[in-house]
Amino acid sequence: MNKDNILEVKGLHKRFTSKGVTVKAVTDVSFNVKPGETIGIVGESGCGKTTLGRCIVRAYNASEGQVFYRTKAGEEVDFLKVDKKKMKEIRKEIQMIFQDPYSSLDPRMTVLDIIKEPLKANFPKMPKAEMDQKAKAMAEKVGLNPMYLMRYPHAFSGGQRQRIGIARALVIEPQIIVCDEAVSALDVSIQAQVINLLRDLQKELNLTYLFISHDLSVVEHISDKVGVMYLGRMVEFAPAEELFEKPMHPYTEALLSAVPVADPTIQMERIPLKGEIPNPANPPSGCYFHERCHYCIDKCKTDSPALTEMPDGRLCACHRAKELALRGFAYEADAKKEGC
Amino acid sequence: MNEENILEVKDLHVDIHMTEGLLTAVRGVNFEMKKGETLGLVGESGCGKSLTCKAILGINDKKCVPSGQILFDSEGLGRVDLLSLDQKGQEIRSIRGKEISMIFQEPMVAFSPMYTIGNQINEATRLHITKDKKKSREISMEVMRKVGIANVEKRYHQYPHEFSGGMLQRALIAMALVCNPKMLIADEPTTALDVTIQAQILELMKSLQKDFNMAILFITHDLGVVAKMCDRVAVMYLGKIVESADASEIYANPQHPYTRGLIGSVHKIGSKKEERLFSIEGTVPLAMNLPKACGFYDRCDARIEGLCDKAEPDLVEVAPGHKIACFNCPHEACRAQRAEVEAVLKGEAIPKKEEGGKA
Repeated sequence: MNKDNILEVKGLHKRFTSKGVTVKAVTDVSFNVKPGETIGIVGESGCGKTTLGRCIVRAYNASEGQVFYRTKAGEEVDFLKVDKKKMKEIRKEIQMIFQDPYSSLDPRMTVLDIIKEPLKANFPKMPKAEMDQKAKAMAEKVGLNPMYLMRYPHAFSGGQRQRIGIARALVIEPQIIVCDEAVSALDVSIQAQVINLLRDLQKELNLTYLFISHDLSVVEHISDKVGVMYLGRMVEFAPAEELFEKPMHPYTEALLSAVPVADPTIQMERIPLKGEIPNPANPPSGCYFHERCHYCIDKCKTDSPALTEMPDGRLCACHRAKELALRGFAYEADAKKEGC
Repeated sequence: MNEENILEVKDLHVDIHMTEGLLTAVRGVNFEMKKGETLGLVGESGCGKSLTCKAILGINDKKCVPSGQILFDSEGLGRVDLLSLDQKGQEIRSIRGKEISMIFQEPMVAFSPMYTIGNQINEATRLHITKDKKKSREISMEVMRKVGIANVEKRYHQYPHEFSGGMLQRALIAMALVCNPKMLIADEPTTALDVTIQAQILELMKSLQKDFNMAILFITHDLGVVAKMCDRVAVMYLGKIVESADASEIYANPQHPYTRGLIGSVHKIGSKKEERLFSIEGTVPLAMNLPKACGFYDRCDARIEGLCDKAEPDLVEVAPGHKIACFNCPHEACRAQRAEVEAVLKGEAIPKKEEGGKA
């Protein structure tokens, strides 16, 4: 494991079998994460992005592969192999924020109890007063009025509920947060509030985010690096601006061209994709994308391209990545982030 | 009613009688739609955009009571006020589904799982066009082909669970278009779909609009979709239209503080990355027992103390086709309104009208 990385995912597979049919939800995904980074994972529904996130918090046990993680103590562990006791320790450091702020909070617990729950589970010996104090401090940090902590979730709006979810994830001071569509269910103006909150907290607490979303403009805003998934495979992984400005994989190009931009003066020509997403239980031969790809050559039909490193350090799984010049978003001259 | 217009909504209110009291979800909405144009109705959840549409079709819940006027230029009935019709009567039925039809948000929920897709599309055909079974089936299949469903002979006999989300939305559009409506209401038609499918469906709707010469009332909260689809945009907040203008105008030159906030809080890919997104503080208040004040007062960054919390601005035209409802706006029409209201508040002038019904 590289010293700079906090998380290394190597050759992760997840298969689900039901009634004798095996679905490969995640196939051979590898990437590295540095501390304090935000990694965006994008893709269409059914591409395996949620499964990947769940494998990383080990809500699912991966079928194959390794996930190396550097604990706060500096220890390297492959946490797909560790025993239950060790896993419990690691869980404290990796938390998750869920999509639906309505169904992810227990309606019969007060907000204070909800935020305290991870403390109770992970630090059973902690005195009650300390728990209360920690929960209250965290509630304040995410912008909840401490006066309202004895209320039940139904009394809160969607944005406030998502703040409760964030406080619950942060109260045990994790290192990595997996945000699974954390802002998708919120209204635009509230979405901006929550995104700002997540960024502020990241800076303050030096958090690492794995930000799973189908909303490409949100991902572009928040992420340092972005991984694009298609049918369980990661097809491209690159720094956000580079990926959006100059995609290397034909699927990324098509995906970007379909994003509606909130500016009527920009009318991008869409690159139409042939057909529909294939059934993941019966994926096509060779490159999974070849049937829908405009740049398909004979090799694509038989050989599955691996995610390989390009000369500029980006990762792309396409036989023709080096020769294709694909179209992305036109960036304004001063639009790129500086040294961030 | 103007000749060019197909629909005019005048001072529409929708009251919801709840056990806790009276909730006025739509508080005096005025707009008109020209034939063949696309009007985007934008706003956050709870601003009353869906209720406005349901009031047009007369499919509101029993608890919701609409009042005001909705004038529609009907083929069979001439100019008619849709609200004055019996909501269960023969007349509205000849309009609903035939001249005005609707596409719903979630295609998975809009279809009954118990009947085949063909059967459900056919329902509208048989009701409005022909009783002849063979003929109506042909018409239905033709429309299915038009919306881009391949292999129609087989698809016609399939059930909704055999369709993907994008295909179901196509089928839903086919169902809405089978009677060749003059007006289509699309309530968040692509919100539940992936971006690539969304782009396909939007393009399909655009091309079908040309073929059928339909007016589309497009409801959405996605400002990107609005930019792509709409000729004109009306922004709703707390049951009122706060700004309406041509789409290009509203993005380039938003005037109302809420519109500015809404557009500012969406990050545009390729634009300069600010550390923080612009965000509107606070949340939408509940539309119950509202004080006589601007609905956006609490969250506004341009509010005028002593004015905005005492009176509510009306929608006034500041440029051709561009209307806004705000006191704090440098345009002459807005300043005139402000002066008038300030005079009334000081008790110097007699209030002209209690409620604003200006179009």
